[in-house]
Amino acid sequence: MTPSGNDRALAARALETLVGRGFAKAQVRLASTERHELNANTGRISLLRTNHDLQLALLGIIDDKRSTMVINKLDGDAVAAAADDLWDMAQGSAADAANDISPAQPPQRFSAGPEQVDFDAMAQRFDEYLDYARSTHPTLTVREGHIDFNEQRSLLLNSNGVDFESRTARYGAQVMFSSRQGTDQSSFNYTGLALAGLDRPLHTLATLATLMRQSTEQVRTRKTPGPFTGDLVITPDCIGDFLGFLLESVSNVPMIGGTSLYRGRLGERVVSPALTVHSRPRDLPAGYFITADGFEAHNATVVEQGELRSYLLDLYAANKTGLPRAVTGGGCIVVEPGEEPLEALIGGVDRGILISRFSGGRPNDRGDFSGIAKNSYYIEGGEVQHPLSETMISGNLDALLNAVVGVSRERADFGSHVAPWLRVSGVGVS
Amino acid sequence: MTIREANLAAYANRFSEYTELRLQQNTNVRVALLNGDVVTNLKSVDGGVSARVFKNGVWGFASRPDLAGEPIVATIDEATRNAQVLARYAADEQSQLAPGVRARASSDFGTRRPRRSQRQIVDFLAALDAHIVATYPGLRSRSVSLWNLDMEKRLFTSDAADGYSNTTRSLVVVNLVTSNAAGEPVELRRPFGGRGQFEDVFDDPALLHPEIADLHRHLMAKRDGVRPRAGQHHVILDADLAGILAHEAIGHTTEADLVEGGSIAGDFVDQLVASPLITMIDYAHTRDGETLPVPVYLDDEGVESTDTVLIDRGVLKGFMHNRQTASRFGANATGNARAYQFSDEPLIRMRNTAILPGPHRLEEMIASIEDGYYLMWPSNGQADGTSEFMFGVQMGYEINSGKLGRAISDTTISGVAFDMLKTVTMVSDEMHWSCAGMCGKKQVIPVGMGGPSIRCRVHLGGA
Repeated sequence: MTPSGNDRALAARALETLVGRGFAKAQVRLASTERHELNANTGRISLLRTNHDLQLALLGIIDDKRSTMVINKLDGDAVAAAADDLWDMAQGSAADAANDISPAQPPQRFSAGPEQVDFDAMAQRFDEYLDYARSTHPTLTVREGHIDFNEQRSLLLNSNGVDFESRTARYGAQVMFSSRQGTDQSSFNYTGLALAGLDRPLHTLATLATLMRQSTEQVRTRKTPGPFTGDLVITPDCIGDFLGFLLESVSNVPMIGGTSLYRGRLGERVVSPALTVHSRPRDLPAGYFITADGFEAHNATVVEQGELRSYLLDLYAANKTGLPRAVTGGGCIVVEPGEEPLEALIGGVDRGILISRFSGGRPNDRGDFSGIAKNSYYIEGGEVQHPLSETMISGNLDALLNAVVGVSRERADFGSHVAPWLRVSGVGVS
Repeated sequence: MTIREANLAAYANRFSEYTELRLQQNTNVRVALLNGDVVTNLKSVDGGVSARVFKNGVWGFASRPDLAGEPIVATIDEATRNAQVLARYAADEQSQLAPGVRARASSDFGTRRPRRSQRQIVDFLAALDAHIVATYPGLRSRSVSLWNLDMEKRLFTSDAADGYSNTTRSLVVVNLVTSNAAGEPVELRRPFGGRGQFEDVFDDPALLHPEIADLHRHLMAKRDGVRPRAGQHHVILDADLAGILAHEAIGHTTEADLVEGGSIAGDFVDQLVASPLITMIDYAHTRDGETLPVPVYLDDEGVESTDTVLIDRGVLKGFMHNRQTASRFGANATGNARAYQFSDEPLIRMRNTAILPGPHRLEEMIASIEDGYYLMWPSNGQADGTSEFMFGVQMGYEINSGKLGRAISDTTISGVAFDMLKTVTMVSDEMHWSCAGMCGKKQVIPVGMGGPSIRCRVHLGGA
């Protein structure tokens, strides 16, 4: 499914409407989506869902004042009425010279993903997963989950002549599960996958089989033997909770607002030299071709051996701060592996925690954090000892990212991100 | 034709199995000023039709971005086909629906006043921002944002249940950032507003000045705040935290679909799970004659919404149900099935979940603690089926010898709700509702949370 001639005519007409309405700069993005989803509840397939949608995002700038309107009805006078609304919204806004649309770029046609949905494969893979759960882990219940196929075709046109057409299609799976033996119950755990195809059983992907096995072990948990300061071995499942502080801090609002710890530090070492972090929207199944501000998306290195290589600023934020715009629209994080086997990474821990899920309060702008190590294990003497209950960890994320003392050579690929295991030191456990 | 006027009964002749047909339109308005600049100026209108069809214990669902005509028929037909396909390969004959009735309800929380233009809304926020700049010089950063959400629904079911609702919410969120002695940022944010459209919730920006003064006063205290001591402490959870406790730590464990999935609450019916001071209810729409933040009169399965008593004087009494879980549990459907967007299927969701007030005064509760903390405003929260919970706390104070001491920096509290609630020794006599919550459970959805202040023991993260 590529954008149809009808879609192109609709998008072109919408852009003409905005320009005709008087906007000095205008952008339209028309996206048609089709989604098929097979759901399960309490281990049983329960719902088959099909969604069709069409979304038109209009952006207009007049006298340096910007507004955005999103509608999903294009019949009759809907677009003209939306253009009138957009005009009123822009007129009511405040002038800001940083408002702009992307400059002319060569027209591009992009496409990725399966050509069409394979319902039989979806059903077979989901059945296979639920069978695996039942037969391999009889104490585990898949509380809810789904497998889906999403196809989106979109057109982005702007008054500078940008003309991008893209089609993306991918499968996805999300599962949440917990285990129970008698009255002993584990915390729930979950994972999500973005997939270019369904050539492998779901439970063999990323860390799913490990998480399910661990869930069955986590019905009986114990606390740590008292508070201590030690190491965290952060799994690829929750690495985003820790790296997210850095990635958010180099993004629009903290950078414009002046609250980012990393503003003015491009080219400086901001985290451990063991860390190299990319944003690769062009490589992952969950990726994209076009950024929201109307540029072709490219892969970017955010941190290279600890040095900050790119902020994650869009066009407005770049204009506002006078700093370079990121060539990526963010997300699709890929962390480079290290050289240490995971076993050795854990083996080097005197006292610490293997953390698979972090449930914590939103860290403040300084990076202070605290929260619960969920679905996690106590490590002592280089060996995993037992699953943990009610364990609070505290620290500072800026300090933590500077205290990475090991990166595993193994990585897990979720389709939305690819990451190794990290070992960090100096985390408070209570 | 408007959503309210749509004659969905006219499509009933296309229903070949039990069917729910719903029109829905969500209108979002987002405006944000960051340091005086308009960084967001957005309106989205997202609507369409969905049909959900039940056959042999499984569901088919379909949706399209249309509100009238042939696409409605196509949507019913596609949902029916999906149900038939699924029933052939995954039928669950044991799974039935609790009986439906021909319920009717109509509610409209749209404003009767003239609508404000986007320019007037931006001017309102700019006036608040100008007040902050003039009154509180030296802030490092500030933002003032508006989040408006109108959810308009029309429902018709095979049981001839017929409902219309327009549920609205308008919030202004103010975020202030200062610097501490080390030059590091210290921030504090508060949402103001609640049920209703902008015109009914926000009149004059000056009416928010006292709230912003309060926010700034606490920020200045937090600027010099200390890290709390990690570990178990006696605390007072103020009303906002008690509300999120009710929602996250207890509420989710008593959603019947999660009970089926293994939530620990399933083991404790008619058992003491909390101090006898604790009574907790998920209200449908009204309490003591007051319309609550997220009023639900008829849910998205066409069930008349009723209050659900979850805990009565410390004893766990019941669960929130949709029609399917009600049938399995031999209970009544409670009207908790709600969908966020037209393209979403209804899930069991809380509505207005609250711990009820008790006999104590907040001042005497604080005075009763020799060494502990007064925890006021949450940032976020999460809980799981074991009832273990975590909430971020963005504002709080030490309590020393019964008096408030220094402010504390951001922290996290945790505990196991069914253990922690047994440590409650005092419950305050006031009640505060919050309407800023957006609950996530496959879909997001607005929820109301309420409560008094409670005295209990929890685990704090910190130094």
